[in-house]
Amino acid sequence: MIDIQGLSFRYPRAERDAIQGLSLKVREGSLFGLLGPNGSGKTTLISILTGLLTPAAGRVRVAGHPMPAEARAAQTLSALVPQDYAFYPRLTVAENLRFFAGVCGIPAVEREGRVGEAVAITGLEAFRQARAEYLSGGLKRRLNLSIGLLNRPRLLFLDEPTVGIDPQSRQFILEAIKHINSAGATVIYTSHYMEEVEVLCDEIGVLDNGRLLAHGSLQELLDGGDRGLTVDLAAKPNLKQAKALKALEGLKLQGARLSMARCDDAELKRLMKTLTAQRLAVSRIKHGYGNLEEVFLHLTGRQLRD
Amino acid sequence: MALFSLIRKELLLLRRDLHALLLLFLMPTAFVLVMSLALQGSFASHQGVSLSYYLVDEDQSPASRSLATELAASPGLKLQDAAAPLDGLREAVRADKAQFLVRIPAGFGAAMMSRDPKPVEMQAGPGVEPPLYALFAARLKAILGGLYLQQSLAPLGVSNPDLGVADRLLQEGSFYSEGGERPSSVQQSVPAWLLFAMFFIAVPLSTTWVQERAQGTYARLRSMGLGPAPLLLGKLLPYVMVNLVQVLLMLAVGLWLVPALGGDRLTLGHAPGALALMALTVSFASVSYALLVANLVSSNDQAMIFTGVANLLMAAVGGIMVPRFIMPAAMQAVSLWSPMAWGLEGFLDVFLRQGGVVMVAPQVLKLALFGCACLAFAAFSLRLRHRK
Repeated sequence: MIDIQGLSFRYPRAERDAIQGLSLKVREGSLFGLLGPNGSGKTTLISILTGLLTPAAGRVRVAGHPMPAEARAAQTLSALVPQDYAFYPRLTVAENLRFFAGVCGIPAVEREGRVGEAVAITGLEAFRQARAEYLSGGLKRRLNLSIGLLNRPRLLFLDEPTVGIDPQSRQFILEAIKHINSAGATVIYTSHYMEEVEVLCDEIGVLDNGRLLAHGSLQELLDGGDRGLTVDLAAKPNLKQAKALKALEGLKLQGARLSMARCDDAELKRLMKTLTAQRLAVSRIKHGYGNLEEVFLHLTGRQLRD
Repeated sequence: MALFSLIRKELLLLRRDLHALLLLFLMPTAFVLVMSLALQGSFASHQGVSLSYYLVDEDQSPASRSLATELAASPGLKLQDAAAPLDGLREAVRADKAQFLVRIPAGFGAAMMSRDPKPVEMQAGPGVEPPLYALFAARLKAILGGLYLQQSLAPLGVSNPDLGVADRLLQEGSFYSEGGERPSSVQQSVPAWLLFAMFFIAVPLSTTWVQERAQGTYARLRSMGLGPAPLLLGKLLPYVMVNLVQVLLMLAVGLWLVPALGGDRLTLGHAPGALALMALTVSFASVSYALLVANLVSSNDQAMIFTGVANLLMAAVGGIMVPRFIMPAAMQAVSLWSPMAWGLEGFLDVFLRQGGVVMVAPQVLKLALFGCACLAFAAFSLRLRHRK
């Protein structure tokens, strides 16, 4: 659905590229999580994919259409749900939806049907006549999403669609996104909520400083990279036991804690054998990444970005 | 289809924006009403201006009494009761309680023909405007000239020279009307404040556009494939419609509301085609200018301050607030560059000079070119913004 080769982009008067030689493929029907710290290039990438920005270098195809040459064709197949409440507060829910349906080019005879479809998926039936400015945060997020569904997109870009809402509304929106994806739409989903991406996305890309640092399924990301090892022993080892442990390459011993910056499966097996031979009891062991957040922090670092 | 949706949306948004409606419709209505009624006396031919004065006659001669009588009989001059002593009257005029003090000194009549005359003292209050000062002084000089003539001719046996001869030697008129009528205040106020209101459309237009950009709605519309042309037309057409409704409302105020409140009735001239053409081109120019401003500013505060100040300046320079003819020559030359001046001239061509399409054509052309230039710059800056 998306094919990017060697993409670069720099804003006017910027000192460095916002996107640097990025290559990425997103398969049709995927629910793709795009992760990255603030300023990593996520919004720029989405803006290029939705035809809002023109790339300086590289090749981009969206739904088979080269960008920006066939941006209009790609735009009719896709929809963008921005992070902001991108609708008119003084219009009602129905008026907003009718307006955007008209802009999408949906014929007048089909418009009410499409509006009904969008409010049904997002649970806004009871709020059709409510002014958007008076809706709660969760309802505003649902309206923002429903506008993106009007043209029945084959490719849906969701930019942090669950920011600032209560858990119930978040759950509803996540269910709606699953439903949209299961109905066949490819979804590009950006969020800072790692647990959402873990449960929702079948593919994940981690972006930082305009580069794609990692790309794969959740399991591939958890299994990949330089997996570290931490072992907490039940008791501090004696001199003989410590000597046996230090014979293992790359292992550090601090009190009752053993650690290795990198530890593959063979090294783990050797360590386990040594621990058994030395009759050392283990109280806690951690190998590799426990969750997506750890992968993310490992890849992008802990330095503040804003 | 997208354009129709954009127009409908814009009209819906305006309908629900109370502040914009007050700014676009109530403010100019109030201006036209207040200015038409307040200036009615100044313009009405049958009333003229009203200037108050104290008269102190220390001479009590036939000549001084004659001067007092002539002055009291002058149209537009109103004698105030001068019961207080002279110093009290001077203080009253200094405090602008009356506009003029006229003191006829003792011996005025007797010394009139001598080499050492006793001049009449005329003092004006500090608040008296120069044209009114000149008007009063001219009237006083005319009466004094008449008295001098009377006394000069007395030795020749002419006791009552015809001092009203000037009225017979002058035939007054105005090109405004063949019947000799002069334009009323409503005739001047409606076009001036209508123009001011039409250019104020920049305020709601620019603030809504800034909001659309800030809220991401604009990016969403672009991601739906809308280019600069439908985005600009989607603003231009509905706001031109609003401008035309303003025109109809202001004309209705001049035609019915001002007369209902005791003012003069607006007359529309004899060229409805020229009036419609002027309304359309002023509207095109003002909305195009508003679109350019909306594209150049980046926050609501900027939009409000820039459009407000720029409109007041254009109005001041363009002759809306201060008539152009009383400006110094340099300012008059500057005012020729104000689109409001072009609009005002065009409307006055129709309302006052009974002009038609040919007479308004130069103003129409200037306004249309200005509108096209603004629209072109707006489209250019929109394209630049797209690339960022």
